[in-house]
Amino acid sequence: MRMGRRSKMSNTSGKAPARARLIFHPDELHYNFGAEHPLQPARIAALMDLLEQCDLWHPKDDALALPLRSATIEELNLVHSAKYIAAVQELSKGEPLGKEQQQRRSQLALTYGFADGDTPVLPGMHDVTASIAGGSLVGLSAVMGLPEGGAFATGDERPLHVFHPAGGLHHAWADRASGFCVYNDIAIAIAHALRASESKILYIDFDAHHGDGVQRAFYDEPRVMTVSLHETGRYLFPGTGDVLELGNGTGRGYSINVPLEPFTEDDSYIEAIESLLTPLVISFAPDVIVTQHGCDTHAWDPLTHLSLTMRGIEAQIKLAHSLAHTYCQGRWLALGGGGYDLYRVVPRAWSMVWAEMSEQELPAALPDAWVERWRPAWQAIEQQEQAEQEVMGKSATASVFPLLFRDRPEDFPAQPRRWSISNVNRHTVALARHLLVPPSVRQAFPAARHHSPLAGLFDLLHMQGTATPSRSKTIETPKGALLLRDFCPPSLIERLTADTGLHAFARLPERELQLLMGIARRPDCALTIAHTPEGVIVGEVTLAPGDEWWEGLENVYEVAIEVSSNWRGLGVARQLLSFALELDALEDIILFALGLSWHWDVDGLGISVFQYREMIARLFATQGFAEYPTTEPNVSLEPANILLARIGKRVDSRVASQFLNRLLSSPNLSRL
Amino acid sequence: MIVSDVMTTRLITVVPDDTLSHAANLLRQYQFHHLPVVRTAPPFGSVYTGQGKHPVLEGLLTSQDIDMAAAVGTSSSDILRQPWGERRVLEVMHRATMRVTPTTSVAAAAQILVERGLNCLPVVEYERPEQAPAGEQDDMLSQPLLVGLLTRSDLLMALARALGAFEPGMQLSIPLPLGDLTPLAKTLALAAELHIQVRSVLAAPLEGKVPLSATVRLGTIYPAPLLVRLQEEHIDYAYGEAQ
Repeated sequence: MRMGRRSKMSNTSGKAPARARLIFHPDELHYNFGAEHPLQPARIAALMDLLEQCDLWHPKDDALALPLRSATIEELNLVHSAKYIAAVQELSKGEPLGKEQQQRRSQLALTYGFADGDTPVLPGMHDVTASIAGGSLVGLSAVMGLPEGGAFATGDERPLHVFHPAGGLHHAWADRASGFCVYNDIAIAIAHALRASESKILYIDFDAHHGDGVQRAFYDEPRVMTVSLHETGRYLFPGTGDVLELGNGTGRGYSINVPLEPFTEDDSYIEAIESLLTPLVISFAPDVIVTQHGCDTHAWDPLTHLSLTMRGIEAQIKLAHSLAHTYCQGRWLALGGGGYDLYRVVPRAWSMVWAEMSEQELPAALPDAWVERWRPAWQAIEQQEQAEQEVMGKSATASVFPLLFRDRPEDFPAQPRRWSISNVNRHTVALARHLLVPPSVRQAFPAARHHSPLAGLFDLLHMQGTATPSRSKTIETPKGALLLRDFCPPSLIERLTADTGLHAFARLPERELQLLMGIARRPDCALTIAHTPEGVIVGEVTLAPGDEWWEGLENVYEVAIEVSSNWRGLGVARQLLSFALELDALEDIILFALGLSWHWDVDGLGISVFQYREMIARLFATQGFAEYPTTEPNVSLEPANILLARIGKRVDSRVASQFLNRLLSSPNLSRL
Repeated sequence: MIVSDVMTTRLITVVPDDTLSHAANLLRQYQFHHLPVVRTAPPFGSVYTGQGKHPVLEGLLTSQDIDMAAAVGTSSSDILRQPWGERRVLEVMHRATMRVTPTTSVAAAAQILVERGLNCLPVVEYERPEQAPAGEQDDMLSQPLLVGLLTRSDLLMALARALGAFEPGMQLSIPLPLGDLTPLAKTLALAAELHIQVRSVLAAPLEGKVPLSATVRLGTIYPAPLLVRLQEEHIDYAYGEAQ
């Protein structure tokens, strides 16, 4: 049951009020680069007015607001260089008198990125952006329970979700202003949380522009995963954000970029976020989620080519909320960001963020009084907005002021190249999944398969028609007896627990168990486990159809194996693998396994990655697997990585040669 | 563009008397394939930062040379009883390598790399020793001083930088009918007028013909005002794919 208005309903509904707060201070409206600038603080004013008129939020209600404070120089310095901060402070002063000073200021402006029209020098900009940065810092600290988030009477009053609409300035670099952003409030808040706590932070950037500033700040930091979904940088600012920007050094694999095609619409967008975000959250296991809800992805936005409607934006907000509750105990900081259709899109999109976060129902229609107040503001710039859309190459959309929160589909004609756009996006997401999501997580959360290859893997692998649904076997190890079971039904997994050392893919044993549940539920996957008589799972082998990279090949299955770190060196892996591959159809299929060095627990074993590689090759060699050279993007990223395959004796030679050709081709990468 | 604009100046080097195992360790540690051999080691370790006096270049050692020495070392030849790792750099390095100077044009250096199938060129300056007796032939006495190294990676990075790839920006194509550069010139003038920074301009003719389009990278997130002006001035442009 959803909550109605908090103060009226909280006593009657019996459900605790949503622990959500919104950060807003009127001073934040001074982030104003002038009347000609596309980023107008009026959008925030229109948003706050809409929230009040819909009875969703009130500035006077202390239980819904969180006060902000300015970030200190020391906190800004976590991300920005001292020279840059000094320059911003200097430029913030009023107009200088002398000619010499004037020249010095021009020089500073040129050096630090204020010389162009995007981010012009703004008197007082240090104070206003420091307070925006402080707001995001307070917000993140509050949801994480850090002292900077303020004191709360009881633990229950501490907010789980915070929304800071004026935040989200993701383009600022360490020593340069860029793309309307002076101080990078997101990076500052995250950097503060990193030093104040032992935690992992997931940042998801929904803005239509690549979140380059945040990515740069944490490019080699494995405790922060940055995910950015944006319009491709082939033409659009800032030009970066390719799938292959994966992070550097120990941060490799923690920068995720999904460059979407221009004119991407809701369905393709929703497919992309759903097939990527959940597996990423599972494999990273963050403690908190920070989202940037730039709504310049909307079809009406004059600065980009993405063509979403409120439906896509709402899906994005709901997904962020559910991920926070499912995987991060609700800890969620949402920020604003881009959004240049000031009156038609921004207030509606961000009201949706707040309503979702505070679990309040949005009315269907916008209040008449609000429409009457803000429609004239839009009408005043309507001509200009149309002209800008046209020069950007966007097809003409309806020039109407919305009266409802959700968009009417008839106002958004279908894009002519919809099919090819969705197709390219699907490839991009497949590549990102392939590069960044570990195999068993991918198998538990498959992307929508468009031509489902088979009815059930069990039937296919048991062509002789075995009577028992699942075999079992007992093996003896120096640590005690283990039971092996193949084709485990979900009902069995449900009754078991995962060993503490089982965390290679999902990081936490309980998540690993959920993952196994997911695999067990899928008819086209097979799950073999080893468990103790006490019901503790210590190892698993999963078998699933090859992912998108292998699309079009028949009878190709990916094998993944994991053994708990507490049960290594006992021969469990060998016996488990051997048991899992006792299949009638073994000689009729092609099996492959990817060994990717970033999933390997080399520290736990005290060996080098190359020794680990040897170990894996030897393990799989016992089952007739051989190493194959390949251009498969994951394997070729790192010399230690390895592809092992076993081509069954009865496999059609045509299929086998298709497989071998695919190993050395690069259909999905050819586009990049 | 000349070589000194793009070369690497922070150099890891070896001296002729170092062992091959030391060289192999350096190559593995820094993950590259070429080590310049210099007469005297730098004061700290094997890193030259490009500051101070330049060392005299003796030769070049590649990972291939070491592989070769290791392969030969494992064969049971009489002359090479010594394990490969204990052999000296002096024995396997190349003395007569192709070199360029800091003022060589990048185009010429690229051509040398491609035509000779090389991956790396030492960049040297020639300096006559101060105590040189007068009257001797100059080229006998001038010593090559190592000032940098030019690799294929440096050229690729230079290309990316020249395309403006390391600066935030957006990309616009301007058709140039019949090779007429006027639309490009007008675009740049308008960009300057609107205080939009230009990250790179590319208008190279294809195979001896005139350039038919220019690619301009602009440092702005908000190109609409410029695009409106371009339309007013009847300048064609392409921004993103046409629908």
